[in-house]
Amino acid sequence: MLKMTHLAKVYRTEVVETYALRDFNIDVKEGEFVAVTGPSGSGKTTFLTIAGLLETFTGGHYHLDGVEVSQLDDNARSRIRNEKIGFIFQAFNLIPDLNVFDNVEVPLRYRGMKAAERKQRIMDALERVGLASRAKHYPAELSGGQQQRVAIARALAGSPRLLLADEPTGNLDTQMARGVMELLEEIHREGATIVMVTHDPELAARAQRNVHVIDGQVVDLAEEPRFHAHAQAAHS
Amino acid sequence: MRLDVLPILSTLRRHRLTATLLVLQIALTCAIVSNAIFLIGDRLGWMTTPTGVAEDRLMRIVVSDIGRRGDIHARAQADLAELRGLPGVEAATIGNSLPFSGTTWNSDVSRSPVQGAPATAVTLYYGEGLAELLGSRLVAGRFFRSDEYAWLDDHLQGKAPGPTVTLITRDLATRLFGDGDPLGRTLYMHGDVLRVVGVLERLPGAAGFTRDRANDSIVLPWRMVPASGGGYIVRAREGETQKALVDAVKALKRLDPRRVIVSARTYPAIRARFFADDRATAVTLAAVSIALLVITALGIVGLASFWVGQRRRQIGIRRALGASRKDILRYFQTENFLLASMGIGLGMVLAYGINIVLMREYELPGLPLVYLPVGAAILWALGQAAVLAPALRAASVPPVVATRG
Repeated sequence: MLKMTHLAKVYRTEVVETYALRDFNIDVKEGEFVAVTGPSGSGKTTFLTIAGLLETFTGGHYHLDGVEVSQLDDNARSRIRNEKIGFIFQAFNLIPDLNVFDNVEVPLRYRGMKAAERKQRIMDALERVGLASRAKHYPAELSGGQQQRVAIARALAGSPRLLLADEPTGNLDTQMARGVMELLEEIHREGATIVMVTHDPELAARAQRNVHVIDGQVVDLAEEPRFHAHAQAAHS
Repeated sequence: MRLDVLPILSTLRRHRLTATLLVLQIALTCAIVSNAIFLIGDRLGWMTTPTGVAEDRLMRIVVSDIGRRGDIHARAQADLAELRGLPGVEAATIGNSLPFSGTTWNSDVSRSPVQGAPATAVTLYYGEGLAELLGSRLVAGRFFRSDEYAWLDDHLQGKAPGPTVTLITRDLATRLFGDGDPLGRTLYMHGDVLRVVGVLERLPGAAGFTRDRANDSIVLPWRMVPASGGGYIVRAREGETQKALVDAVKALKRLDPRRVIVSARTYPAIRARFFADDRATAVTLAAVSIALLVITALGIVGLASFWVGQRRRQIGIRRALGASRKDILRYFQTENFLLASMGIGLGMVLAYGINIVLMREYELPGLPLVYLPVGAAILWALGQAAVLAPALRAASVPPVVATRG
């Protein structure tokens, strides 16, 4: 589903080159729920932005659903983002000027979907996250957990092949975080491929597989005793 | 094509104040520019009214003969003979006026001899062979015969009878006689009985008091002298107007060094002086309109730029969710189109309101409906042009902004 080999991302200024990702390798199979963990600045979010085609990379290969994405132009990347990828951001990233219904509708509009189908999908998605009754509310009128549920509904409405979540519970209290996590697990059980970036070992432990990133590279957890111990402590 | 009309309207509702201010600015500009375009068009239309005369080749020289006695007819004939002998001159006469010259002689004519019968105000043209010299086209009948001319000054002193024939314009003929043949018909003018012998295609009045009656003119067979209010009217040969004017002035001064040349102008100069106020009005209106359009364009650029800056993260989110650069560009263009349309709708109502006030207070003509879509098209085009740069900036916002703000 998502395969990166020897991927590199370099930020260049006039005087310095900074490797955000270096020889980065990952292979996420269809239907997997993968948690990407690592300390701040390790390159987790850079990985996610490249995986979501929000940013280009400097070297290596990235195949998404069998397509090598490095050669795609901006329009093709937009189309793939719209049709194959669902995003869940830490800051929810709802559009404050649009109500819940219109927010969920945004990606569907860019797909050129007919109004009746859009409405059906939006209401189904809102029903699924338990917010159908809040369709006319604006984001500012919702709690953080509800806003994140709207963001999940927006990601689900387009039936994406891949769901990318960037610290999806980072701005939520424990109870709300648990609700969102349970929702993601439910979505995964229904067959979705999920890649979730998190620094929270407890959340990471609920994924099928953990990938640890340090200094822009995927590292083997077995060779990282500190993390291993920490992860075990989180499990117990 | 995906148009986000409803979500955009929803967004605009949440930015009501700024959106309303821009709509009002567009409305005011639309109203003023629509009226200004109409008034400019009206003035330009008036300024370019055709005269039917050979404008580029005509000139008029007005002289004042001081203390001259003797045979004024002979002197006038001698002057004309001298002028006609100049190499650049094709024809010369002494006449009372020229179209749009500002020097107007008026009277009124009636189809009935009965005093108090309905009469039509007309501009009078005098001068031997004047209509032919001017180049006015005859559409029916004939010009005057030489035996039909008499000296105006003799008539004013009671030494000669009034005229018995006249040339009238086609417009006046239609007004007086409808579709009937005007030739041979009789007009009455303060005791003079005039038989229509010819119809001119057009010959606008000298002052143009009312535009719809600009061509209500008649020509009478008077020979004139400068002392009875006539000026030398000269027709130059092709391309020799300026030289002919200089030569004519020199010739007249040579014949009588004491005579004062009051004015010596080519017809284009005469016409330009007549329409100077109209031109100034049109230029002022155009300048005000352009200034308003520039201010409105700056308003659109300013607000659109502000919104692009304010919504940078939103744009990134839209890009992340699948919007292409074109989608973002189209979003801002559609938003501007909607704002402009609201402004234009309001502006059209306002335009009519302003026009009603202008009609009532300044006796200006009514605003034809065609000017409303013209104003609307200008504002729509202006809006799209003004929003283009901010919209392109918005379209260049990368999707990664959604994650990094």
